[in-house]
This record gives sequence, structure tokens and C-alpha cells, in this order.
Amino acid sequence: MGFIFLMNGGILDNPPDVVLFFGRFHPVVVHLPIGFLIMAILAQLATRWPKYKLLEIYLPLMWLMGAFSALLAVVFGYFLSLSGGYDEDTLFWHQWGGIAVMLLSFGCYLINKKSSKILSIPKWTMVVIVGLLLMFTGHMGGNLTHGATYLLEYAPNPVRNMAGLPSKVVPREKVTVLDSADVFLDLVLPMMQTKCVSCHNEGKRKGGLLLTTYADMMLGGESGNTIIPGDAIKSELVRRITLPMAHDDFMPSEGKLPMTDQEVLLIQWWIKMGAPPSGYVTQLDKEKTLTSLVSNYLGLDKNSLFNKKVPLPNQAVVETLLGNGFVINPLMKDNYFLEANFSLSEYDLKASDMDTLLELKEQLVWLNLGNSNIKDAYLEKIGLLQNLVKLDLSGNEITDHGLKYLSKLENLESLNLYGTKVSKGVLELVPHLTRLKKIYLWQSEVSKETITQLKEQYPGLTIIFERD
Amino acid sequence: MGHHHNTKPRVISRREMLGLSAGGFGSLALMSLFGTMPLGCKRPGSFDSASNLYLGPHYLPKAKNVIFLYMDGGVSQVDSFDPKPRLAKENGEDPRKKFKVDATQFDNVGKILKSPWDFKQYGECGMPVSDLFPHIATCVDDIALIRSMVSNFPEHTNANYFLHTGSGLQGRPSMGAWMNYGLGSENKNIPGYVVLDGGLVPPGGLDNFKNGFLPASYQASVFKAGPEPVANINPREDIKNLQEEKLQFIKQMDDGLIGKIGEADAVESAISNYELAYKMQSSIPELTEFKEETEATKKLYGMDSDDPNLRGYASQCILARRLIERGVRFVELTCPNVGPGVDRWDQHSNLKKGHEKNAHAVDQPIAGLLKDLKSRGLLEETLVVWTGEFGRTPFAQGSDGRDHNPSAFSMWMAGAGVKGGTIFGKTDEYGYRVIENEVTIHDLHATIMHLLGLDHKQLTFRFGGRDMRLTDVHGNVVKDILT
Repeated sequence: MGFIFLMNGGILDNPPDVVLFFGRFHPVVVHLPIGFLIMAILAQLATRWPKYKLLEIYLPLMWLMGAFSALLAVVFGYFLSLSGGYDEDTLFWHQWGGIAVMLLSFGCYLINKKSSKILSIPKWTMVVIVGLLLMFTGHMGGNLTHGATYLLEYAPNPVRNMAGLPSKVVPREKVTVLDSADVFLDLVLPMMQTKCVSCHNEGKRKGGLLLTTYADMMLGGESGNTIIPGDAIKSELVRRITLPMAHDDFMPSEGKLPMTDQEVLLIQWWIKMGAPPSGYVTQLDKEKTLTSLVSNYLGLDKNSLFNKKVPLPNQAVVETLLGNGFVINPLMKDNYFLEANFSLSEYDLKASDMDTLLELKEQLVWLNLGNSNIKDAYLEKIGLLQNLVKLDLSGNEITDHGLKYLSKLENLESLNLYGTKVSKGVLELVPHLTRLKKIYLWQSEVSKETITQLKEQYPGLTIIFERD
Repeated sequence: MGHHHNTKPRVISRREMLGLSAGGFGSLALMSLFGTMPLGCKRPGSFDSASNLYLGPHYLPKAKNVIFLYMDGGVSQVDSFDPKPRLAKENGEDPRKKFKVDATQFDNVGKILKSPWDFKQYGECGMPVSDLFPHIATCVDDIALIRSMVSNFPEHTNANYFLHTGSGLQGRPSMGAWMNYGLGSENKNIPGYVVLDGGLVPPGGLDNFKNGFLPASYQASVFKAGPEPVANINPREDIKNLQEEKLQFIKQMDDGLIGKIGEADAVESAISNYELAYKMQSSIPELTEFKEETEATKKLYGMDSDDPNLRGYASQCILARRLIERGVRFVELTCPNVGPGVDRWDQHSNLKKGHEKNAHAVDQPIAGLLKDLKSRGLLEETLVVWTGEFGRTPFAQGSDGRDHNPSAFSMWMAGAGVKGGTIFGKTDEYGYRVIENEVTIHDLHATIMHLLGLDHKQLTFRFGGRDMRLTDVHGNVVKDILT
């Protein structure tokens, strides 16, 4: 028994690299006995049918292959266990389960070699026990590498409950407004979950550290100074994630995805603020130094309109518009923002259609009413479609009078007034449209002077007013 | 006889048929869609009742339509958008002494060949463009140039299939078919995927434009240049009723067949194709007669040119814009036939004459298209893609040609969601191989889809037991050229 010898040699506490090197082969080698032994068990079962009787002569070989590869897996597995950091209980059962599988496999080999003389019942008992033990040991091994909750993570709740696990947690709702962002729950904890807990969990506990909950994080690992509230520099966690990547102590180790610069900054700030278990970012960050960083990290710095969840559009309203000649398109999969387009219609636009459009005012973000015989008066309702981001009014006989109604469209980014009768009115409208990026004025009645004036006042605005 | 009459399908009048087609067509084709849309709102343009997949953009699109300007044969990158001064310095020297030369198609490797054209910098961005494209050069601030394209195939047919379908073998759905499958068409009177045949069908033939395993309704309709762009676009029957009754009879037969054999794509697609063809008899003549186009517009595209090839391509470009305006999702333009020996960009010899003729035919129309789209606000929702299937060698084939080079070529995009004035990727000092930021055809497909709001990993179609994608198991969105 080689490993007992190793234990006595005092190698346990400080295993040499070569031992750990071979230990790392355990996950590869371990699949050999699993395959061989399942093959042996199935072949053994098959010999009960006359058709497969001829397999009998190969059975000893199959069991021997299983047994020897199990021996190899046991030795490498023992080496791997010396690197430490595994849950002791699970490790105990995995280790002795593996040893038992190995011994029983040798037993099966011997029995099969002398098969004709052996009673059927003990033989079959052993075969079944090997099968069951194999599954048990394999499962324990899976728990060791992936954590005990891995297998049933996505199982239906009844199955989870049967196994004594709680029902699946509904994930925390995505932050849509900066004011609702929690420093721990929305920033720190998700970082831990994506980058750290695959090693620092209940089953694996690398370095004795658990990063699954707030309490465990504060408890720290072997070093005890994982997080020192108020002192980011002295906190081991910060030291580990800010080391050069080639450094032995760098975390996350083994080529896993490192923390981004943003994440490091946010963790440092959280610890400096005393590492609270919760609290709104905007309340903690009184000087507003982190506002732009956090909103960028959470993806809130885009037009905040699209972070909002809008309700399902009224089916009847959509029907009516479709029936009146509109094309209505969804614009994204996980939200109900819509585009409405009348420019392709063979029907005439009716004043009442404007009222129908208004019923979709939350969902409508793109509206194309190009060449639709829009009148100035229609724009009164259009101006109430507060979520519009793109509005195309090209080719309509609209004038400055109608433009006045559009001044409340604060989400508008693109306004197409090509081929309309608008003129100086744009000078009054544009200041109200704070998000406007593009305005199309080709073949309108806007004069060169007005364009020059607009360009001077709004250097960031793209004004398209000519073709060449 | 009365009860018999009740079971007879009612004849749909032309007027009713048109009524169904115009936005209100909801009741017919959309019936089948009901329930497959998570939004509870129905989307015109989708024929897909078979799959339960979500159809429509996955995330907020930047572009709604694509105009694909296909530079058939392979434009030489070192003569167009990727200047290499070293070629001039080492002109006439043996390339094999300078770098490792791959086997080429004709393996008639000549000397290093400098570009016959000068490059100048244009626009605010200062992008260098050769004298081949003086008009396109005026649009560089709207163009994102990729100099690091590579293809998997050094030969036209496979490279064409690869560029159009994401696979070098015949038979896969074309990207235009994928876009229509994912997003549907907005106009029920015109097909959602139109190929404007400028005179040359690319090697590989019409299989570049097919639906593959996707439903047959998504295949391209090829419009020819000339007075009758689509065959039989004017009804052949003298009496109007005759055609309607014929169609009604065919529909009855088809419905009867479906009743017997159940749902079948071949029959259903045939029915929808018949219906569409009927509608096209009224929509296409209006589309292809440029009555509302002003003289200034025609001139912008080059309709007043002496070069008949330029005039032809100009009218195709105007038509492309008109199709986009009518909600057609994907329009591809093939190249005009500029003459024997120099057809396509495939100049294995006579580079100067051939490239000049081809460039002359397309340069002004393309620039006109970009400017016209921009001024009307259409460039904001249209992605214009300009590319060949591969590039050409920096050394000569024979004395004055260039052979195929799949290891590096240049392509550009303009319009919706594209960062104008950017240059992405880098080739070596000879323009022979990519040395930085390689972009594959799969990456290009992923990027085009991304701009249309489609996640190339999510748009799948189950065929042969697998969820098929345009990008197969490849493809990364080229984020650096996006706004």
C-alpha cells in the first residue's frame, strides 16, 4: 500500500511538487475506471442472454482493466488530496469509496476468472455493489470539484426539495436606476459569484476561505485578514487581486478570468467605506466620485429609457393600427419597445390614428410617418409620445407651427424633417431636445443662415441639410 | 346545390387581395403567427409559422436594411484601400526572395508589382484611397474600412458561397435569407431579399442567393436590369379575370393538397410565392420606373454618363435605394459586365485596364448612393457593405495581372451603427498577409447581424438534427468599428 508508506514518510504536510503534479492527473485518469467498470458491468449483465454468452471469456480482462485503472486513480487521487482545500467529510467518503471500488473490482476479476465454480448470488451481489459504489464515489468526486449544489443547481424545485435543497432563489432584479444600486448586493456579491466562488465555496474552500455570503467573507480564510473594513490596502483580498498576474498569489488563480480595473476600484471603495453588508451606492458616495464609474459598470449610462421595463402593449390597440395600415415591429426580445411605420402604407392616415398611437406611448420609441400626409395639427399628439427616440416626418407638409408641439420629446435622438416646410422654427425646437444627436433638414425651408446659427450653437449636433 | 355552394372557397377579389397586402394583411398570414410572438403584437412579414422561435431583433437594432455591394472577382486591396509604398520601392524584384509565397491558383508567380494608381488622403479622417475611387473617396468620413479580411478559399466559387452563406459548399442559406428569416420583410408586395443582377451572376450561380434549408419564401428574387426586371411582370392574360380565376384555381388545388398531406413548406411557400408574384405585378412597375426621381438625383448617381456600364450600375443603385425605402430587408447588387476579358474584378492580367473599367462603372453610383441615403436620413437605418470574396496578390501573375489572395483583403461598411472614418486591421508591408486584428467572413456576418439587432448565436434553424447558424460555430462581432 504505497500511500500508507507515504503517510509515514511525513510527506503529508509538505508534498513535493512532483506528487502534486501527478495529483492533477486524477480528474483525467479517474474516467478510465468509470468507463471500464461500466463496460464490465454491462457485459456481465449481457452474458445472461445466450446471444452474448461469448462475452464471458472477456469479462476477466474487462474487470482487470477496471481494477488497475481504479488503482491508478486512487493513487493520483490521494496525491491530489494532499494539496488540501477540500471538504473533509466529502473527501473521506470519496477516498474510501474509491478504494472500495478498486478492491471489489479486483474481487470481481478473481470471481470471474473462476466463474463456473462460483455461486451466482455472491457474484451478482458484488457486481451490483461495484456499480452502486461507482456512482456514489463519482458523485462525491463531482461534489468536491464543482461544489455540492452543482448537480441540482438547475433541477426543478420538487427535485431540489427532495434532496434537501432549498428552492431556487429568484435572481436579484437587474438594477435599472442608479439610486437603487446596492453596494454589496448589486456590486460586490455578483463579482464574487462570477469570479471567486467556483473555488471558494462550501465544498472547495480554497485557502479556508468562503466567499458565498457576507458573513463568510468577513470571517476570512486562513490568513484572517481577508477584508479589513476601512483599510483596503491591508485587506488580503485586495492585495491578491491587484498583484501582477504572474505572481503565485494572484487571484483568481489558474488562468480564470481576472477582476477588471473597474471591479478592483469598486471593491477597494467598498472596503474603504467600511465594507457594509448593504447600502445604496448613491447614499454612501456623498461626493459623487463614483457615479459615472458605477453607472458605466452597471450599463446604466446609455439612454436610461431602455433600462425601463415597459408593459405589454394592448393587443387590441396593435390590431387597430395594423388594420389601419401601420407596420408594428418589436425592437428587442426582452422588452416591449416598439417601432411603428406608416410610410409604406397604401392607406390614408387618419387623425384618429394619432389617438391610437398615443395608447402605445410607453412602448413606441421609433416612429416613421414619412410621406404620410401628416398635418401640423397631428403633431400635437405626436408630441405626447414621450419615449420617442427616432421620429421621421420627412415628406410631409408640416411647418414651424407643428414643430412647436415636439418640444417635450426629451428622449429624441434623431429627427427627420427632410422635404418638409419647416424653417426658422427649428431654432426654437432644438434647445428643448436635450438628447438630439441628428437632425435632417435637406429640402426643407430652413435657410443657410439658420443652419449656420444651429451649427454654432450646437457643435455636437449632426445637421444634414445638403446632399453633396 | 345550395349546400355545395357553402363549401366552395370564396373567390378573393383583386381589391380584397390588395387590402390584405397593405398592412392589413394581418388576417391572413398573421393568423399563423399568433401565439408565437412574445409581444402579443403581430409582425407583418413573417411567414414562419413552423418554428416556435422568437422572430424579430434580439436587441435594439442599429440598422433595418442592408445594401450589399458585391465586388465580384476580388478587388485588389493594394490598389484600392491599402496603400503599400514598399511595392513601389521593390517593383520588379522577386517576391520569393522577400517572403514566403503561397501556392496561388495559377502559380504563375511574377515580380513584385507596384500599384499603377496613386493614393491620396481624404476627409477629416485622412483615409487614403487610390485614384480608382475618386467619388467613394469623398465619403470616407462615413466609411469604416477593414483592411484585415481573410477568406478560407482561394477560388471564386467556394469563396462566393463562403461569403454569401458562411459555408464554402453549395446549398446553405444565403445571408439575405437569414436576415429575412430573422426579421421578416416589411413590405408584402415586394420580396424581402432582392438581388439586382447587374449583368454578371457570380461564380457559384444562383445558389449564392438561395434559402438553403430555410423555408423557400426567404430566397432571393433576382431582378434583371432593363425594361422587364422580373419575368412576366406584366400579366400575360388579355382578360384580367382570367388570371385571377387561374390563380384562384391553383390556390384551391394547393389548399386541397395541404388538406390531404398536412403542412408542407414546399406547398405553403409556393402559395405565398404565387400571392407575392401577383402583388408584384402592380408594385414592381411603379418601383422600377423612376418617375419621381429628379434630374439632380439621377445625375448624382451618374445616369448622365457616357459609360453605359456606369449608367446601368447607377440605375441599380437608385433602385436599391427605392427598395430600401419600401422596406426591403436585404438588397444585393452584382457587378455590371464591363466587357470581355475584364468582366468582374478578376484581373489575372491587364490589371490597369480591367480595374479601371470596373471602378469607373461603380465608383460614382456608389458615392451617389451613400450621399443620397445620407441626405434623406436613410443611411441612419441602412447598412451599406462593400466587399469582394477575397483580395489579390501584391506580386504579378505573369507580367501585369494579380492572382487570388485569400490571406488579406479590404472591405468597408457605411451607415447605421458604423463608426465612420475608422480603419481597422493591418496587413504586412506588402499587403500580402494580415498581421493585426484578423477579421473572418464569419466575423463579418456576425457584425452585420449584430447591427440588425440579431445575435448570431441565437438566430438558429433546426436542420439535420442541429440548430444551424449563419456563422456555424464561429464569428465574433467586430466591436471596434461600431459606434
